[in-house]
Amino acid sequence: MQAVMTAVGLALPGAGAPAELLLPAPPEAPPVDPAALIGKKGLRYQDRATQLALCAADDALRHAGLLTGPAEAPPRGTVDGAPRRNVLTVPAESVAVVASSNLGNLDTVQEVVQVVARTGSSRLTSPIVTPRLSSNVVASETAIRFTCRGPNLMLCNGPASGLDAVFWAMTLLAAGRAEHVLVVGVEPATTAAGELLGEDRVIDAAVALVLERPERALARGATVLARLGRYLRSGDPRSCVAALSGRSPAAGAGPVAPERVTVAAWTGPEGHHAADGLLPGVLRYAPAEGRGTASGALGVLQCATAAGHFGAGGQGPFLAVAGSAADDATAGLLLHRPDGR
Amino acid sequence: MIPSDAHAVAGIGALASVGSTTDEIFESLCAGRSGLAPMRGFDPDCFGAGHLYEIDDRPATGDVPLRATAFLLDAVAQALADAGLGDNLGGIPVLVGSGLRELRSVELRHRGAAFDAAQLHFGTALRRRFGATMTHTVSNACSASLYALAMGTDLLDAGAADTVVVAGVDSITESMFANADRLQSVPPDTVRPFDRDRRGTILGEGAAAVVLRRGTAPDAARHGAVRGVAVNCDAQHATAPDRVSIAAAMRDAYHRAAVTPSDIDLVMLHGTGTHANDEAEAGALAEVFGPQMSRPLMTAMKSMTGHTSGASGLHSLITALQSFRRRRVPPTLGLDHPIEQAAGFRFVRGAAAPSAARLAQINAFGFGGINAVAIVEAP
Repeated sequence: MQAVMTAVGLALPGAGAPAELLLPAPPEAPPVDPAALIGKKGLRYQDRATQLALCAADDALRHAGLLTGPAEAPPRGTVDGAPRRNVLTVPAESVAVVASSNLGNLDTVQEVVQVVARTGSSRLTSPIVTPRLSSNVVASETAIRFTCRGPNLMLCNGPASGLDAVFWAMTLLAAGRAEHVLVVGVEPATTAAGELLGEDRVIDAAVALVLERPERALARGATVLARLGRYLRSGDPRSCVAALSGRSPAAGAGPVAPERVTVAAWTGPEGHHAADGLLPGVLRYAPAEGRGTASGALGVLQCATAAGHFGAGGQGPFLAVAGSAADDATAGLLLHRPDGR
Repeated sequence: MIPSDAHAVAGIGALASVGSTTDEIFESLCAGRSGLAPMRGFDPDCFGAGHLYEIDDRPATGDVPLRATAFLLDAVAQALADAGLGDNLGGIPVLVGSGLRELRSVELRHRGAAFDAAQLHFGTALRRRFGATMTHTVSNACSASLYALAMGTDLLDAGAADTVVVAGVDSITESMFANADRLQSVPPDTVRPFDRDRRGTILGEGAAAVVLRRGTAPDAARHGAVRGVAVNCDAQHATAPDRVSIAAAMRDAYHRAAVTPSDIDLVMLHGTGTHANDEAEAGALAEVFGPQMSRPLMTAMKSMTGHTSGASGLHSLITALQSFRRRRVPPTLGLDHPIEQAAGFRFVRGAAAPSAARLAQINAFGFGGINAVAIVEAP
């Protein structure tokens, strides 16, 4: 199951490029303004999660060289002679979308039931929000805006969901279901999201990646930012790290990697003390720290951080770990330098 | 497009408004029994519609959280028992397709019910009950469980697993129901798929699960085998389906399963009873079947279960597998005058039809234009 990362897209306060994810989050960064990034056209009826996802997706597809045409031009096919907006440079059927979000559409769900409770009727609910009541709105609206006709997946899989989304992107490539996969992780800072998490701050950001098979990336001359390696889910961070790195696990903590891998850098799960004592002395990044809970966006943000690390000349392999011992499971993914070192 | 391997269906489990096991559901469907009943979960004074296809499991005190989770665990336990597997899944992947996850519990939380973020996806409960850690909740609207099936077959094809559990589940959310109610100026009296007088869909609920085993060893494939699953996306409109893209998904499914339309004996229709779906689905079928259009039996079980959303694809798939074994196909209720686009279709109407079907096509299409088509064969 071979795949490479050929682009990163960010819609994240205080970071415009993957290298900035290696640094502490700047305090007081202003929230992302989607209209300023991709124009207001087509955003009006989208929820905050979808707006953020579209920004990150636009950024990633352009960096990958898969999208031409200005973001703000007339939509595809409407005006002769004018540059068309959002034109894929590859067949639409070859591009899949895998999105990850846990909290994306909670605000719309809450709004609608509140209207019914307040007015005692369904009559004052808005038909405009219908698509947003289905949790796949982020994945499907991303496909619609950029005309991605390949498989379209919406992972809502808890704290490890972002890394799981990357795994399914790799699986789609291996199965020949797509040539290019756009992965988007997003969580909005809506009132409903904050309430359910019981935290006062959600990251309010989206991160996108483009993944392809190595030979396809090579054939079209794409820049490789990272190579993707082994992925697994296990019961807790300790067993996950042991299984992927071969570092001595606690007794009975799970399988050990067949080959010992010396992890050069890593990033761990959210939550206090979730990763204490794991990989002592190994360079560690915390891209979500100071930015708010990343939840379903975390794994994608971690992969973007790996790209930043390799881009800055950092050594591999890079280990991303999401999901704590208190969660349903922990996912881990190894990423390697483009040159394999 | 790579032709897929066939994979054995070693166990099945399901529940819906019309039955709490796969056998009960099939008997109800063949007898033409509908699960439509006065709504139980929501305040009827707030809505124009008064009926839904619900599972009657709520306590007398009112609605409770985590019903979808309970449906899912039930269906998975049935499928595991049917496959002769124990209750400890460990690293066996469990892929759950769901349109609305536990969003009903989020709604109830705002009224004081206990519910936390870890319960929004199904891995938490699957780990507690079955020790499963390779769990994935795929929220792919009304094609979710067939999308999950495609993902499961990909894992088996890649040799990444020997056994995979694929499931679908949904309970009705008040928000989705309220919005449908708002859009239906005249509430439909029942779901009438492909009928000229259809007035829209009505939501149902339930869960379905299958245990898939790599390859088609006869002892494992007693229910039949999945030959191939195609998935794609219209990338056109948030709610209106695209006939061309649906037809492309069907052709991709035939290619993956290495079959032609003339091999298909039975089509389990998505058939939601909405104007847009039924026209697009019928148009796509007419296009891909061409002169073979009148050959396969066709039926739409949502006329008795309502639209079970994320579970509906697997509900249809399990009904197809049951039809192979029981040699009959359930009818479509409420289909008196087929729409023009479905002229010449061999719908099963009135009563269950005897059948020697060996190869079936299952359709599932969802909001956002996400299409999935599966091909299954008899043992």
